[in-house]
Amino acid sequence: MTFSGALTILMYALTPFLWPIAAGVVALVVVHLLARLRGYRMMAYRCPGASLAAMAAGVSALWWIPAFTHSRLAYVSSVFDWVAMIAAIIGMSLVVWLALHPFSYLLRGRRSRFL
Amino acid sequence: MPQHPLDPVRLDRRRLLQWSACATGLLFSAGLQARAQSSNARIVIVGGGAAGMAMANRLSRRLDGARITLIEPREVHHYQPGWTLVASGVWRPEKTMRSNARFVPGGVDWVRQPAAGIDAPGRQVELSDGTRLDYDYLVVATGLQLNYHLIDGMSPELVGTHGIGSVYASIEGAARTRDTIDAWIAQGQGKGIFTAAPTPVKCAGAPLKMTFTTLSRLEASGRRNDFQVDFLAPGDALFSQPWVDDFVKQRFDEQGVTRRHHYRLSAIDPRAREAEFTFVGPDSEFTSHHELREAEFSREDGRTVVTDYDFIHVVPPMSAPDFIKTSDLVARDGPFRGEWLDVDIHTLQHNRYPDVFGIGDVIGAPINKTAASVKAQAPVVEANLMAQMQGQTLPARHNGYTSCPMITGIGKAMLVEFGYDDNFAFLPSFPFIDPKDESWVAWVMKDRMLQPAYYAVLEGQA
Ligand SMILES: Cc1cc2nc3c(=O)[nH]c(=O)nc-3n(C[C@H](O)[C@H](O)[C@H](O)COP(=O)(O)OP(=O)(O)OC[C@H]3O[C@@H](n4cnc5c(N)ncnc54)[C@H](O)[C@@H]3O)c2cc1C
Repeated sequence: MTFSGALTILMYALTPFLWPIAAGVVALVVVHLLARLRGYRMMAYRCPGASLAAMAAGVSALWWIPAFTHSRLAYVSSVFDWVAMIAAIIGMSLVVWLALHPFSYLLRGRRSRFL
Repeated sequence: MPQHPLDPVRLDRRRLLQWSACATGLLFSAGLQARAQSSNARIVIVGGGAAGMAMANRLSRRLDGARITLIEPREVHHYQPGWTLVASGVWRPEKTMRSNARFVPGGVDWVRQPAAGIDAPGRQVELSDGTRLDYDYLVVATGLQLNYHLIDGMSPELVGTHGIGSVYASIEGAARTRDTIDAWIAQGQGKGIFTAAPTPVKCAGAPLKMTFTTLSRLEASGRRNDFQVDFLAPGDALFSQPWVDDFVKQRFDEQGVTRRHHYRLSAIDPRAREAEFTFVGPDSEFTSHHELREAEFSREDGRTVVTDYDFIHVVPPMSAPDFIKTSDLVARDGPFRGEWLDVDIHTLQHNRYPDVFGIGDVIGAPINKTAASVKAQAPVVEANLMAQMQGQTLPARHNGYTSCPMITGIGKAMLVEFGYDDNFAFLPSFPFIDPKDESWVAWVMKDRMLQPAYYAVLEGQA
């Protein structure tokens, strides 16, 4: 398959989700920008709560990713099914962590200003 | 009608076209194959479904100056592989429809009316309004015809009434099939009959998929045991790929589906909700080779059984459209005689008219009536047609590749890919997906990825 063929398929596959994806990316960038402006550094800031929440979101994907694809967890059975599912869980956890980690920094900063 | 394909007057013009195309071809090295080749040939593509639209896009990119005409009466393009999901209650019907206008490439003349006839020796296509279009090269991509009339008492309008379903009828028919299955399940009990056709059919897996998705729904209702499910097939096999055939039979047995072989649906009495099946004999093997002529459908001496039903899934006999069958392009002998387009199943060139190529459901081939086959056939027809225009030997061969995401329940499937070479051996595209595994990923491909891939095929990109 050509590169433009792969792009065409991707374009058709993503078109229905373009707005949610764009909104998600914008939200992520805005949270990061705001947090950085207030001194947030990803590696330096620790927030076990964000990590736990990200893990929980990832685990919840075990239920809702099959449901989103009109299927169920019981049908995730072959080795490749599990590779794909685990990749989806890791991806999901990462995205949630990337959003919650700076967000919690912003919340804490506001709380400490109030204290 | 004169039968000889080589009309001397037109041969001159064709030779001229070949020489000019050949000269242009020589200017390009093999590495620049994708560059446009100049030609003033008149190319007519009959049918703008999966195959015709893919060819229109490919040829318009590859040929500079050629006059390409696409004959397609429909404004709406139907993604037919989605109909099984519509009839199973998984997709909304709208998801399968797009405007044809968005796929027709610029520079292609789109004739919005049906072709009514083909004069192959005279190199003309006749349109329904009586106009005639001359061609130098013809691509036949009309798809196939559903012959519901060969089942006494049956017509596509009955789908959705009297417990009759048929996923093949149309998108409306698929939606009405879903409603009929809903009504049957809501009844809480009863007998469902699923059938197969005694001819080659498009997506031969669809009747099986409809059975499996309905079984899923019956099981989900919690009252599976109150429903009887029968599958009646005209041949020994339920599917042409031997391993999958065994698998499906075993799975049907495990899921309580009563199989009856060598019966074809011959008549239906919708008001009485009765179906008549004719025993076609243990020697018949209709599912992969078409041996049953139209006359045989009306034979009176067959042993018949009449059975009642609460739901019946009708799969009609299929053939090339009538105007192809009455043209000189139809197969004259062999298993496809009188019913399908006569092409070489590897080069896809017509066996008697070398300037005619066939692609998609209309061709006489042992298997291969899927959009996945179209994806594999389109580059072959493109390369061979270009070579034919340059008077060169045809370089490309189709190995019969076809693919059927065999849905074995709502939410799981097997990505079955095989071809007619090498005794229907598997031809997996992805080394990490075993065609023998039921998997969620194969289902996700069917549910999410194959429609985008199909549209890329239409655009000539895949
Ligand atoms: C229920 C169902 C499930 C399927 N599932 C799958 C699947 O899972 N995977 C898969 O790969 N394939 C599947 N298919 C098969 C797939 O849709 C077809 O094989 C594919 O569409 C064939 O392409 P085609 O261009 O030959 O025919 P079509 O797509 O049917 O197009 C034929 C075109 O020709 C036009 N036409 C007809 N008569 C004339 C005329 N007289 N003049 C001009 N134009 C004319 C029609 O309007 C139509 O647009 C399924 C099909 C059905 C019905």
